[in-house]
Amino acid sequence: MLNYILLRIVSALIVIFGVVFIVFMLIHMVPGDPVEVMLGESATSIDREALRHSLGLDQPLWQQFFHFLQSLFSLDLGQSLHSQQAISELIAARIGPTVELALASLLVAFLIAFPLGILSALKKDQWADATAMSFSLLGVSIPNFLMGPLLILLFSVVLGWLPVSGMNGFDSLVLPALTLGTALAAVLSRMIRASLLEVLNDDYIRTAKAKGLSRSRIIGLHALRNALLPVITLVGLQIGTLLAGAVITEMVFSWPGLGQLTIESIQKRDYPVVQACILLISTTYVLVNTLTDIVYGLLDPRIRVG
Amino acid sequence: MKGILIGMNAIKWGLLSTFAALFFFSLISCSDDSNSDKQVLSEKAIHFGLTSAPVTLDPRYATDATSSRINRLIYQQLVEFGPDNKPVPGIAVWKQLGNKHYRFVLVNSPDNDEYQSLNSQSPTNVSRFHHGKLLTAYDVKATYDTILDKSSASPHRNALKHIERIEVLDQQTVDFHLTRTDPLFPSFLAIGIMPADLIKSGHSFNQNPVGSGDFKFSHWPFDGQLFLRRQSDHQLFEFLKVKNPTVRVLKLLRGELDLIQNNLPPEHIAFLKKETDIHFLTQIGSNYSYLGFNLQDNDTGQIQLRQAIAYGLDRNKIIQYALGNAAKKANGFFPAQHWAGADLVDYDYDQIRAVALMSELGYSDNKRLQLTYKTSSDPFRIRIATIIQSQLKDIFIDMDIRSYDWGTFYGDIKNGQFQLYSLTWVGIKTPDVFRNVFHSESLPPSGANRGRLMNATIDKMIGTAEQEQDLTKQAKLYRLLQQELHQTLPYVSLWYEDNIAFFRNNIQGYQVSQDGNYDGLKWVIKND
Repeated sequence: MLNYILLRIVSALIVIFGVVFIVFMLIHMVPGDPVEVMLGESATSIDREALRHSLGLDQPLWQQFFHFLQSLFSLDLGQSLHSQQAISELIAARIGPTVELALASLLVAFLIAFPLGILSALKKDQWADATAMSFSLLGVSIPNFLMGPLLILLFSVVLGWLPVSGMNGFDSLVLPALTLGTALAAVLSRMIRASLLEVLNDDYIRTAKAKGLSRSRIIGLHALRNALLPVITLVGLQIGTLLAGAVITEMVFSWPGLGQLTIESIQKRDYPVVQACILLISTTYVLVNTLTDIVYGLLDPRIRVG
Repeated sequence: MKGILIGMNAIKWGLLSTFAALFFFSLISCSDDSNSDKQVLSEKAIHFGLTSAPVTLDPRYATDATSSRINRLIYQQLVEFGPDNKPVPGIAVWKQLGNKHYRFVLVNSPDNDEYQSLNSQSPTNVSRFHHGKLLTAYDVKATYDTILDKSSASPHRNALKHIERIEVLDQQTVDFHLTRTDPLFPSFLAIGIMPADLIKSGHSFNQNPVGSGDFKFSHWPFDGQLFLRRQSDHQLFEFLKVKNPTVRVLKLLRGELDLIQNNLPPEHIAFLKKETDIHFLTQIGSNYSYLGFNLQDNDTGQIQLRQAIAYGLDRNKIIQYALGNAAKKANGFFPAQHWAGADLVDYDYDQIRAVALMSELGYSDNKRLQLTYKTSSDPFRIRIATIIQSQLKDIFIDMDIRSYDWGTFYGDIKNGQFQLYSLTWVGIKTPDVFRNVFHSESLPPSGANRGRLMNATIDKMIGTAEQEQDLTKQAKLYRLLQQELHQTLPYVSLWYEDNIAFFRNNIQGYQVSQDGNYDGLKWVIKND
């Protein structure tokens, strides 16, 4: 098991390095120049070169990458080209709202997906199943940029219960979490249903029934536990996605998260901020998935043997 | 089975940690933010919705519209602009003592009659910086010296490059000596004045601005939320970025925002105009939208094609249906009321003439011209592009629309990698823009001649106009230049979008300006 965990960690580090390298190269290769964005078109060539030099952008690409790695090892993410603020401060201000939104969305997704998925599996091909899966289909089909304004219209404008957007206390978290959570719940509930249906036909469930165990005990203790295996993988992937920043939802709800910062920095060609954000996002993503793999390995010995 | 149980424990603890973390973050959000929120609510802050956040609150480096507009509230400038865009005194009056010598006298004493008459609309003593020091000629010199310092890499340095030296005569008097004559020179001194002592100490004006304007910096929790306090009555203002126009409108309806201005699709404008709780104000704008051509391209380099496109566009319909009548047709950079504005003959929609011009070039319904149109990823700009595409279809042009993120789009335009594009010039006040945009020496990266216009006549006309010392005669020369440009058609002029503000009915006193600045906030009042 230890070898398996070590292998996963090493491969995770390689993936993170690969992502950082590719992003560094891509962001420097796409058209658009931070100096042009910062100075506009009326600046002189001398001013442009002076700024380029002061930002270190006149150095060869490999040298810039080397400096970036060097500062990473000394835990210094550098400064934003535009605002001149420390990147660690910029990210620190955004990471809290992002984690908060991700966890709240996950909670909403669990609260919706588990009852729906279990209900659908137990009432297979009945009206409850059809209703639950229709809801699920609806959740998958409605994009966040539509779901967000619809929820705002209902809960903020018509009912007046919740704020439209912004980050002002717990009530402002509800709508963005609901927007993200329902989409995730839709996928999760379908996965739980399919997985549970597969497990319910297994021999050990029949044995449990033959032993005279109660229905709730069979579902809760035996079936659901084993049905959760593929769900864990999905949740792992989704946590990564949520932490990477649900950009559209953040935009709709003016939620000051990491996704918005990344997109804005890409538009402004603020290379150091983009690199730092991508590094953080990829690390989180890889870390969560590595943990998922490890948990999966713990649950299913065939995986770590394989 | 043991493995499964361990796994289940991991899941259980994972879930518990999730809930615990959620609870923790909820507590954080409830405590910090709701406190600030409560503070804002208890103070009856005025909430102003922005489309984009300010990039910097240091006027020496601000180039984006939002930063410039907010900086105008925090800082004062030597020169302002009148209704015809001629420079008028801001916190200083000036006199031209010689061709290359200007004297500016600060009128910042509250007892000074001249000052009182110039600042009659502003009830406060705005001659002091917010940290208590009096604004003097030394602060003016320090501000402009740092802009002129090559190491500062200020984007405004180029416009001020003809300043040879700045000399302080006394606390209120400062002389600018130039390397060449320039009757437009005072127009370039519209940058916020900063305190010399803080400039010297390397103060971070970007994060903690100290000016002498009507608004004092309060706090800036994150880049999308800024708080300023009005000096005269200590009224708190929140500037909140809400990028999505639908959400901005909904926040206004619900009272989470008190005021929003511009950047709304026509359907939102029409919807808000019908709302009884919402009032609106409009003002004819001066921001110039245009269709730009690559003049080095084999197709768009042909004058007949550019003329065909000019005649083939039904701008009236675009303004009516896509812009909700919130724009005025443009014929040139400056509207007619600008001191250098020209009254030019319109390229009215004339499909027959456009088709005839295309036929002269050999195009017909069987042989159609393929053109590529580049635009940003802004949905509204894409919508306009689609309408243009549809209109040009009738004159044998099939237009391929390509939308990119801002950085890529802007990079392509500057590098000449386009045939057609559309953009808007924002906040242009002075005709020196013609050199920057149309002179053959201003090809990117040395200027904004993005279409690569190389025309000796136009170069000569620009030079002649620049050398004229008398503003009236100079205006006449610039009008002739605009006529020539109107014939040459490096741009097809589209429109000047109106500035439109919507506010809740408890908001009073707001005024909308021609260039879309936020100066109206100096007088706005929120009733209970």
